[in-house]
Amino acid sequence: MTAEEWYRADRLPHIYCAGCGNGTVINCTLAAVEELGWRREETVFISGIGCSSRAPGYILTDSLHTTHGRALAFATGVKLANPGLNVVVFTGDGDLAAIGGNHFIHACRRNVDMTVVCMNNMIYGMTGGQGSPTTPPGAFSTTTPYGSGEPAFDLAELAIAAGANYVARWTSYHVKELVKAIAAGMRTPGLSFVEVMTQCPTNYGRHNRLRRVSDMIEYLRTHALLVQKKERLVQEGKTVPDEMFTVGELVRRNRPAMGVRR
Amino acid sequence: MSRVEFMQGNTACAEGALAAGCRFFGGYPITPSTEIAEHMARALPKRGGVFISMEDELGSIAAVIGAAWTGVRAMTATSGPGFSLMMENIGFAVMTETPCVIVNIQRGGPSTGQPTRAAQGDMLQCRFGSHGDYSTIALSPASVQEMFDLTVKAFNLADRYRVPAFVMADEIVGHMRERVTIPDAVEIVPRRKLEPGQLPFDGGEDGIPGFAQFGSGYAVHVTGLTHDERGYPDTMDAEAHDRLVRRLIGKIESARFDIADYEVENPDAETVFVTYGPPSRTVLQLLHDMPDEGIGHLRLRVVWPFPEFALSVFANAKVFLMPELNMGQMAREVQRHVDQPVIPIPKLGGDLHTPAELKQALEAYR
Amino acid sequence: MKLVIDESRCKGCNLCVLVCPYGIFQEGSELNQRGIAVPRLDRPERCTNCRLQHLYGRLLCGMCQMICPDQAIRWVEEEPFEPHSVVVEF
Repeated sequence: MTAEEWYRADRLPHIYCAGCGNGTVINCTLAAVEELGWRREETVFISGIGCSSRAPGYILTDSLHTTHGRALAFATGVKLANPGLNVVVFTGDGDLAAIGGNHFIHACRRNVDMTVVCMNNMIYGMTGGQGSPTTPPGAFSTTTPYGSGEPAFDLAELAIAAGANYVARWTSYHVKELVKAIAAGMRTPGLSFVEVMTQCPTNYGRHNRLRRVSDMIEYLRTHALLVQKKERLVQEGKTVPDEMFTVGELVRRNRPAMGVRR
Repeated sequence: MSRVEFMQGNTACAEGALAAGCRFFGGYPITPSTEIAEHMARALPKRGGVFISMEDELGSIAAVIGAAWTGVRAMTATSGPGFSLMMENIGFAVMTETPCVIVNIQRGGPSTGQPTRAAQGDMLQCRFGSHGDYSTIALSPASVQEMFDLTVKAFNLADRYRVPAFVMADEIVGHMRERVTIPDAVEIVPRRKLEPGQLPFDGGEDGIPGFAQFGSGYAVHVTGLTHDERGYPDTMDAEAHDRLVRRLIGKIESARFDIADYEVENPDAETVFVTYGPPSRTVLQLLHDMPDEGIGHLRLRVVWPFPEFALSVFANAKVFLMPELNMGQMAREVQRHVDQPVIPIPKLGGDLHTPAELKQALEAYR
Repeated sequence: MKLVIDESRCKGCNLCVLVCPYGIFQEGSELNQRGIAVPRLDRPERCTNCRLQHLYGRLLCGMCQMICPDQAIRWVEEEPFEPHSVVVEF
């Protein structure tokens, strides 16, 4: 394993369902941490509530598993009180975009120096598959039995608009690119937001004819549109399909940041 | 050399926090507590501390708990509606045994109520407001001097017992101006450190685990889920949950003799006023106007954990009178512990009881 | 080096089957003690990491390990003189 010694081996196997992408995202995050050479005692993983938020419990560092939606507020307190700590926040789409939406935009606005990895599985997984703010229009879930009638949130665009210094989006299939993106985010001072589209075959796939892990991976692979390719399509005046999401590094800039280690 | 100043209660509270070594304040403006945040915003950066105005009270208390885990003393100040918003994370602080101080400058409720008037309507909320069973420490200042002293004490109790401690003041003491003596140094009780080999949530003999701040290399997992002594979630084990919750309550309740802080006047009296916070000032005025050995007075500075043993000091008591700025919240608690009748004397609207009103009650129930 | 799947961690999601460029992982059919069909390894000595990790001094492909959500795939040192069959492909 790339980062075997970063895992609490006595806690594995973790609670995620078979084929869940969250474990992959933890692998990639720890690979990025290894790449940066962070030390365990200087690193804190923080999360809220949900499937994604169980992740810090499997990592052998100081970790704070908090209340639903508030992870970024807790992380702001930790980072500002001790800028010497490297802070990584694991969060999910429901945690970040629904109940924690206010903390999300304000953390981006403040540009607090931390890395936010959002595992977006387009569903509330832990409670059994209810529609979330990122459930695509028309998708089925236990609370959208006739297909979701709401437009979905584009979290990366939201982070860009709110002022995060680094924003990227990949999927749990693009592991190598994801490691690079998370590492780049960790290197960037200020808030780095990496959205990872992950598969949830158990709760999202089950309702949307993507029951098999390979089907969900295929869905992620075919719906990911590289940002450069999208720009080319726009330049050529061609239409960008609605159901696709852009992947790649979406923004990297140098707005004033808070809590940067001196 | 101590210095004497004439200042507002909220300022005295902020000064007390600074004297106690508070170096993190996360808050959100709300009347009538805002002066505390304003004073901290000016003072903290000069002392190397951090002041942050969060996006809401949910975020304020979250940032405070996060900061507390890095080892600093942290606090927030709010009032009724903000206090209600903080409830979930107060439960989190209890469950994770995070020492922090929450100042509630109470105002008239429910809901937005009377933003600029005093009340004591959150006395049960600070004890029972979050879901689940737990125990906390709450202090109630009755003067500007006590705003200073009890804020210092709240930090010490929070660190000593690893629990959120509440300063349950109100608009009257918050906005009143009085003479305050500020000592050069105050007593500081540090957090007990986690010893090598000790588990981070193992209470030991007194139920209070050692504290391992973030960055000290212990790799502590802090979770609001039911956890075992290692801090690992263990949500399905009935025994683990029972053990944890009993310890969280037991560490406070079994220490209530040490935590207790109260004043007794005329212990042989048959009629006893039980007060906390500003209503005690009216009782003092009454006793000053008409000295009477038959009228006793128990003034609580620590309201929770409730010191029921203080009531038995009044061996001859026939009736307990409780003037409160609410509909009789603490009177219920007092009635739980005594056989004599407990008469609530509620007062709503923001004004203190007048001595005449208390005299009237005295004549009616004596 | 030898490629191994930790049977105590694997949940049988077959993501490794999907990503291995050499087709080393094959969907398993036999349930193990935990009731999970752990993928079968087809001639794992063909894996670049098994052959070349020591030579290059770093992890090479590693896709299966990185994508494995259950942290079940790793490479371990081979025991000396461990018998195994080698199929030579032309």
